[in-house]
Amino acid sequence: MSGFTASNSRIKVVETVNNVDETVFDTDHDMPHIVGTTYLSNVAVDFDDLDETQNYVGQECSPTYTLETVLVWVPAVWDFTWVWNPGSWDWVYNWSYSTTDRVSTSGFYSQERVYTPGFYDWQSEWVYDPCGTYVPYYEYSVDAEEYSSTTNIATLPVDEDGGTVDVDFIIVQATGTRSRDGYDPRFNQALPTTIPSKTFSFQGSVLLESSGEADGDSWFRRIMSVYTSGSKLKLKVQESVKSISRGANNSPFPHLDDTRSTYSFNFKVFFGKFRQ
Amino acid sequence: MAIVLSITPTRFRASGSKLDSQRRYIRKVYNNTYDLRFVTGRNMDVAGGGLRYVNPSGNNVDDDTYDGSFSGTEGVRVRV
Repeated sequence: MSGFTASNSRIKVVETVNNVDETVFDTDHDMPHIVGTTYLSNVAVDFDDLDETQNYVGQECSPTYTLETVLVWVPAVWDFTWVWNPGSWDWVYNWSYSTTDRVSTSGFYSQERVYTPGFYDWQSEWVYDPCGTYVPYYEYSVDAEEYSSTTNIATLPVDEDGGTVDVDFIIVQATGTRSRDGYDPRFNQALPTTIPSKTFSFQGSVLLESSGEADGDSWFRRIMSVYTSGSKLKLKVQESVKSISRGANNSPFPHLDDTRSTYSFNFKVFFGKFRQ
Repeated sequence: MAIVLSITPTRFRASGSKLDSQRRYIRKVYNNTYDLRFVTGRNMDVAGGGLRYVNPSGNNVDDDTYDGSFSGTEGVRVRV
């Protein structure tokens, strides 16, 4: 039966719904209540670019053409050459007339055979070597990494004596934007992020970014956690990266230098207790 | 004017209806009559490229890659 009870240090309210007594309020139970609220603006989260390593895999030979000076045997040859036999003028005594006449003989060409002996000669020529040089080839892998950073972002509420309230839980109401879209190092596309465009609430941790291998296994995670420790409200940012290979020789990850992501959050933090 | 205190056979209200018997106020319980849990600390961890999620019941939910040793805690049981 619905009722209200106040006795000594207990207040209890019961509401009867469908013939069932439901406790509405009972100070004998620890009842969650908010003891303080903090507003935090422009809380920055920054994940740096990933790194990669060039791994030597092996080498393969490659043909070359080089210009070299080589000693070449030039064989002997027989050649035919035309030779000019000049004409001449001669004085001939003519007995019939008792005179001395000048008589010419015409010049003519004749063909003669000329021998040139063989000899060695230094000459420049392109020399082909089917395995003249060795070219190394490499495979690239993203470096494994475990990164975390913890910062104090607020001080917990204090009581009237200045002592830190022993907070039992917090509820974070948040808005946030990814101010820099980190890319998957393998692809020309931004990493998927879970941050909604509107206000969201969380307790504990939030997954910010993730990526998987071709078989679906996770290799990359970025998260943040907001929690209390001592007298402080802390923000812990974590990144975990498993090494993955590029899968092709001499081909670095095309978007490794685009993997940095940054976020900016506004937090409204409710500090709660179950019992005063 | 806000109601300071109102007690009728079917309804109780106090402190400007901050306390109202027609509402339900959550409260911590220690038995299995709870309706939900309050997470009170970190409930995720990453290691080896994988993720561990500690659900409100305190059970670890790992992907195939996680190789860390984080242990979260069970959420506080509350009843509505």
